[in-house]
Amino acid sequence: TEGPPACPKGCDRCSEYNGCIKCKPKLFIFLERNDIRQIGVCLASCPMGYFGMRNPEGNNRCTQCKIDNCEACFNRNFCTKCKDGLYSHSGRCYVSCPPGQRTANETMEC
Amino acid sequence: SERPTLRAVIKVTLLKHEPTGKPIVLEGVFVGGSAGKAEGKLMQYHPLSLCNTSEDERQESDFITIVKLEHRVPRCKALHDKARMALDKGAQAVIFDVSDDANAAAELREIDSLPRPVVLVEAEDAEELMGLVNKNEEAKVVIEIKMEPKWPHYD
Repeated sequence: TEGPPACPKGCDRCSEYNGCIKCKPKLFIFLERNDIRQIGVCLASCPMGYFGMRNPEGNNRCTQCKIDNCEACFNRNFCTKCKDGLYSHSGRCYVSCPPGQRTANETMEC
Repeated sequence: SERPTLRAVIKVTLLKHEPTGKPIVLEGVFVGGSAGKAEGKLMQYHPLSLCNTSEDERQESDFITIVKLEHRVPRCKALHDKARMALDKGAQAVIFDVSDDANAAAELREIDSLPRPVVLVEAEDAEELMGLVNKNEEAKVVIEIKMEPKWPHYD
């Protein structure tokens, strides 16, 4: 008889259609979209545009950055890397620095 | 009193076979007082995806969400909230495969007042649909109310 599918690396519980449904402790589940499919995969760190959100029950999860023009973030509202050509200031991304802020072109910061 | 259940006809046409392709015809059950027609591209959502609004995965064209429910997946929300969230994300309808979550069918049958169709599928019908998803086959889905044949009523 066909036993449960062997789960991919880092996954504690999985299924044929949903991929991983529970990752091993400390890992993050990332819901990967591949055309019409969306499956769970387990990662030690989250891909660009996402940050790792831990939760008490251990269902740690890659969650989308919610800041405009941001490529990498520390949490939902603090950007750590803005898209090319934009300046970062206090975790946000700007086309030009806000008034009163000096522009540091070498580091693209205000 | 037992709520009357309306059955749904689900016609699935593979986009690669359009426009002449013969549709696969499956069946399901409407829940949430949401019977009606819907049409869109089939799009799978992981059961953990419908948890918080921030996961704003916007789809361009009209789509119909399909979710394979599993009792082993930690529940982040009640199923009617998940259904509502999927519809709020722009789904024209939601299909729940309840084959592996016996409680889900009972829970979903209790809900009411959903703005667009929500359909439960199971067994062979669900297997056929999820088989297409598993092969990443782009497909157009049309959901309609199943017209039961009109038989004279004999007491």
